[in-house]
Amino acid sequence: MSRSLSVVIAVVVVLSLAFANAALAGSAVENRQLAPSLAHGAIFGVILQRSRFCFLCNLRDYFDNRDPRGLVAILLAIAVGSLGYHVVLSTWLPNPMGGRLAPDAHIGPVGPVLALAGFIFGVGMTISGSCVSGHLYRLGEGSPTAPFALVGTAFGFALGFLTWNPLYVSSISTAPLIWLPAQLGYSRWLALQFLVLAAFAGLIGWYGRLPQAQPLLPTTTPVHHALHKIFIERWPASVGGAAVGVLATVAYFQVKPLGVTAAVGGYARTLLASAGQLPQTLHGLDGFAGCRTSIDTLLTPNAVFVLGLIAASFSSALIAGQFQPALPAPRQIVKGLGGGVLLGWGAMTALGCTVGTLLSGTMAGAASGWVFLFTSATGTLAALAIKRRL
Amino acid sequence: MKFARSLNVAAIIGATFSLVAAAHAAPAKEPLVTHEWVQKNLENPKVRVIEVSVDTGVYERGHIPGALNFNWHNDLVDKVNRDIVSKANFEKLIQSAGVDKDTTVVLYGDNNNWFAAWGAWIFHTYGLGDQVRLLDGGRKIWELNKLPVDTKAASVKATEFKLPDGKPNLRARLADVIAAADKKADVQLLDIRSPDEYQGKIFAPEGVKELSVRAGHVPGAINIPWGKNVNQETGAFKSVEELKKLYSDAAIDGKKPVIAYCRIGERSSLSWFVLTQLLGYDAKNYDGSWTEYGNSVGAPIANLAGTVWTGK
Repeated sequence: MSRSLSVVIAVVVVLSLAFANAALAGSAVENRQLAPSLAHGAIFGVILQRSRFCFLCNLRDYFDNRDPRGLVAILLAIAVGSLGYHVVLSTWLPNPMGGRLAPDAHIGPVGPVLALAGFIFGVGMTISGSCVSGHLYRLGEGSPTAPFALVGTAFGFALGFLTWNPLYVSSISTAPLIWLPAQLGYSRWLALQFLVLAAFAGLIGWYGRLPQAQPLLPTTTPVHHALHKIFIERWPASVGGAAVGVLATVAYFQVKPLGVTAAVGGYARTLLASAGQLPQTLHGLDGFAGCRTSIDTLLTPNAVFVLGLIAASFSSALIAGQFQPALPAPRQIVKGLGGGVLLGWGAMTALGCTVGTLLSGTMAGAASGWVFLFTSATGTLAALAIKRRL
Repeated sequence: MKFARSLNVAAIIGATFSLVAAAHAAPAKEPLVTHEWVQKNLENPKVRVIEVSVDTGVYERGHIPGALNFNWHNDLVDKVNRDIVSKANFEKLIQSAGVDKDTTVVLYGDNNNWFAAWGAWIFHTYGLGDQVRLLDGGRKIWELNKLPVDTKAASVKATEFKLPDGKPNLRARLADVIAAADKKADVQLLDIRSPDEYQGKIFAPEGVKELSVRAGHVPGAINIPWGKNVNQETGAFKSVEELKKLYSDAAIDGKKPVIAYCRIGERSSLSWFVLTQLLGYDAKNYDGSWTEYGNSVGAPIANLAGTVWTGK
């Protein structure tokens, strides 16, 4: 595709997003979450695509090349998001110790099922080549694996619905919802959070090794240079991380915590229900805050968010020359579907993925977010280790 | 066009009530207040606006400036007994909301004031009927009029207010309803659920978990779904004349006391509010409602559809 054609298509997509947003902004009171959701999704897509904010790549960069930048960017996202959440939460719920949980925040039940779900999700990341948000933005880059991974994720969700009831009754129902500010108060929670993040960043940095700086490309003017930095080169990982933290705060404040699986899960639930296979009751499921699935409507805020994400990532990739569609090889199809099933099961069972449970959870001070962080990282690394031996 | 019309309706209702507001420096005594009245009284220390919404996170992301939030799942029920909040806890709640004996409390909420009306019924039950009002149209009319919202949690100074004697007779109990069903009491029963629930075609609306093992209604009950009380476009109550006609067409004219019920007693509070506060009829709310009555051993039902519970 010629460069100018790419730019024209990208501009058309961006304009369509803007028009869609304006149209949604005028919709009825009941639907007023749609316009901000579309905007948040589009911004998230640009951040993910431009800064390559992908949990698997970041982990792999570190363990293959000791490049710490991606992992530090994730920690930075959590740090910025925690600060932002703290501002919002201390305004909405000045006293967190009054027995109430933060409204809508993704605080999930902490127990062995969450740990298992995180681990399986991590294995799924390694096999499929990315987490769910990663596959979504790569769909916009023309990835041959992403479509299969997302189909796999939907199947995984279906499996998750089928295994939910026994898991709920045997374990999840008695697993506590641990909200750290309710135990510690906001200040001590935030201090502890920063201490832990700084300790991890220090550890990662201590063992890490920065790659040699790339020679700067010859550029003509300062404006050209700036445009090149923004639209062509990948953004520094830390810029992406900080931006994710800011966006997560804005999304929580305006609509709901960031998450990418509610729509996929909702469609899986609808399909399963129409096939008559969905358990009549999913015990306790809809009472939890998290990436909630529903069979009510097609055009949910999360569906709009995901559409915005893919469309924005697509236009961003087009301009950067990173839209490289390819025909899938059989191996990619198998890995995508297989890994996707694990991603879907893990995300359904953990009530969210690396975005909804990990980021939105840790930022809000939910212990469930931290458990998912450690177990999904363990699953990823275990699978990477096995993969290398094969 | 629809929007313009709803604005007109709102403006007319608003104009009617702003006359009242202008006439009284102190809060009006009417059961309803308009959004204009609330706007004028946002800074009034003797007015406390409280949101009671069904959906979580709605209040936090934007409420009437200065409004407090009552969470009906936690604040307005007794979580151990199946009951409304205890008198002691309700007293603590309104003390912490800065309510005193000369405070006018304005309740409002989402879903056409559904749960705000439940809140109002509890205020009445605990003897605060003279102090509580509903914002006509609730959140909907506030938003339709593009009025500003705030996201800060309001801070108020707690009071030492002691609740007066309550009015427990605003609440109907199972025995009252069975007596009415058996025609041992001269009372009219009002079923405000959907016609499908009333006729017994379905056990509960789709997606709803609280249900009864029997479908149908209390024998002799009259069916007027709660949504008919409000103008769906603005969320505001219909005019007194329209409401009077709505009920008198179904033979409820205030000559006999009424017991209103639904599935769990919340929606029926809205119909109870209309009957007692807007029409001046004698009415009680049966908060046990169909989940209690329909499951009670020995309580007769009328099931027009003839559905039988088979455990599925």
